[in-house]
Amino acid sequence: MDRRQFLKATGAASATMGSIGLGFFGYEAGRDPESYTGWETHEGAQQTFNRKRYARDYPHYKKVGPTSRADARTDVIFYRRGDFMRSWKDNTGIEGLPEHLQEYYRKHPDVLNQDLYLMKEIFPKQRADYRKYRDKFILASAWSNAMGAVSPTRINQPPEKSDFPSRRRFGDSSEPLKMKSAKKTSKLIKKIAHELGSTLVGIAKLNPDWVYLYPMRGRGFEPDKPLEVPKHWQYAIVVGTPMSWDPMYANPNYGTSNDAYSRSRIIAFRLASFIKQLGYAARPHTPGTDYDLMVPPIAVDAGLGEQGRHGIVITPELGCNIRPAVITTNLPLIPDKPIDIGIQSFCKTCKICAENCPSGAIPTGDRIEVRGYFRYQIDTAKCHTFWSSKLGNMGCRICVAVCPYTRKSNWLHKAALKVSVNDPTGISHSVLTGLQKRFYPGPDPQKYYIPSLGGENASYRPPPWWLRAEDFIEF
Amino acid sequence: MHFFNSGLFWFLEGVFTCLTVIGFKIWMEDRGIPMPFWKWILLGIWVFFFGFTIAFIGTNLGEKEPKAALLGGIFFGLFAVITGVGLWRVLKIGKKS
Ligand code: SF4
Ligand code: SF4
Repeated sequence: MDRRQFLKATGAASATMGSIGLGFFGYEAGRDPESYTGWETHEGAQQTFNRKRYARDYPHYKKVGPTSRADARTDVIFYRRGDFMRSWKDNTGIEGLPEHLQEYYRKHPDVLNQDLYLMKEIFPKQRADYRKYRDKFILASAWSNAMGAVSPTRINQPPEKSDFPSRRRFGDSSEPLKMKSAKKTSKLIKKIAHELGSTLVGIAKLNPDWVYLYPMRGRGFEPDKPLEVPKHWQYAIVVGTPMSWDPMYANPNYGTSNDAYSRSRIIAFRLASFIKQLGYAARPHTPGTDYDLMVPPIAVDAGLGEQGRHGIVITPELGCNIRPAVITTNLPLIPDKPIDIGIQSFCKTCKICAENCPSGAIPTGDRIEVRGYFRYQIDTAKCHTFWSSKLGNMGCRICVAVCPYTRKSNWLHKAALKVSVNDPTGISHSVLTGLQKRFYPGPDPQKYYIPSLGGENASYRPPPWWLRAEDFIEF
Repeated sequence: MHFFNSGLFWFLEGVFTCLTVIGFKIWMEDRGIPMPFWKWILLGIWVFFFGFTIAFIGTNLGEKEPKAALLGGIFFGLFAVITGVGLWRVLKIGKKS
């Protein structure tokens, strides 16, 4: 072949290859979820992790003894402390409290001391500092309240009344529609959840151990009567969305849970409505305080992630920046499998959350047995005492912000995740933890406290520009 | 999508890489330094690491993590310089005087 012929043949081959390449480019551009404007809120475009590869038949927490169910009246800190504050009188002491609280505090006198400490020591100091330093957080608070301003009506009826579709809605019949297969239905439900704006979605067979023995108030159950798990709570669909990232890094004062709470709550109510319109029972269990069950272990069962040292579920996509909600249903579904992405091994060496927690609520030791299951247990009283001492938005979430898994979705953090989930030796876990501690340190945990408690109202990272009240408001 | 995470950007990166490789090859030929395949592999690894260092600094600045950018820049940058000097000595093996 002479030079001219060679160049001609090369030109033809290049044109063919270039055309094929253009075809592939066009195909990818056409199906790229980013081409849907506002795509982050639907299409499931962010649930990208290949969970099948890491699926296991059993979750990471181990059943190690006879199990028991949690009591929402005492184990859910807001409820216990709310009841305690309302009913405590110095002259009657423990005798003046409702019976279940008396029983609880007799068993846990240290917790009574912590609850009294909050009421008598922390609140007065918090109120004094509030007047002096609160202005700084006004925009953060306005934004948080705005995010919480829209909420579906609370479910205040028992499952047999509220969970089933009403006849009126379906005309003559409320019979369930005959679905072709549980597999297809699961696919449909996941698609609908994504379309409704859920970043992640998973399905679990409901383990009755996660249902509260004594439920929360205002959910339609008889007070102080054990909750019998309804037969139609067969499956649990878990949906979840992240809190806005920049304010989340500016915790504990500028971030809020309200944004993700509100989104997940609305999604759960809409998904429950969708299921009911197919003729099946559905009940949303939603943040902040409208649950009949504990959500994190269900999210683990549904394969969304693993529970970390700080007690929050860590997902491969969002880290622990996720606020989940659950829908219990009798719609036949195929449960997902729990996943093992090495979090238990990572948490063993990491401990960053424990070292950065201002209240010392996160354990530095190993997992322990809690109600028959082997897992990390945080001290909710210490945690809530810190929450209640601050001036910014309700909550703290420093443990969410500092966790190495809670990072943006860019090449650097995706690469680190890829290395860590595929490393059975744990060597990369130590290396990544070391880098995280040196490269991304936070302030001394004491600085997160209010000045009256020896702190500086510090945040893990500076607030985003749009929450800096001093830049917008004349004080 | 911004230019710097678009396909066009990576296309241009590819063109620049090709031109760099051609230029480097000619430069080495002029200096009488042979470039067998194993040298290209070593060079490729080093270039990848150097690129990682630059991108690490940029990403952390973009994430408003100046401390990570600085410390990572010093840590990985020093490593790149030291290994770069070592690599240059290795590349010179077989140089024709
Ligand atoms: S929310 Fe704050 S106080 Fe509570 S465990 Fe997390 S870091 Fe500690
Ligand atoms: S900060 Fe570290 S120890 Fe804590 S939950 Fe995250 S990975 Fe586990």
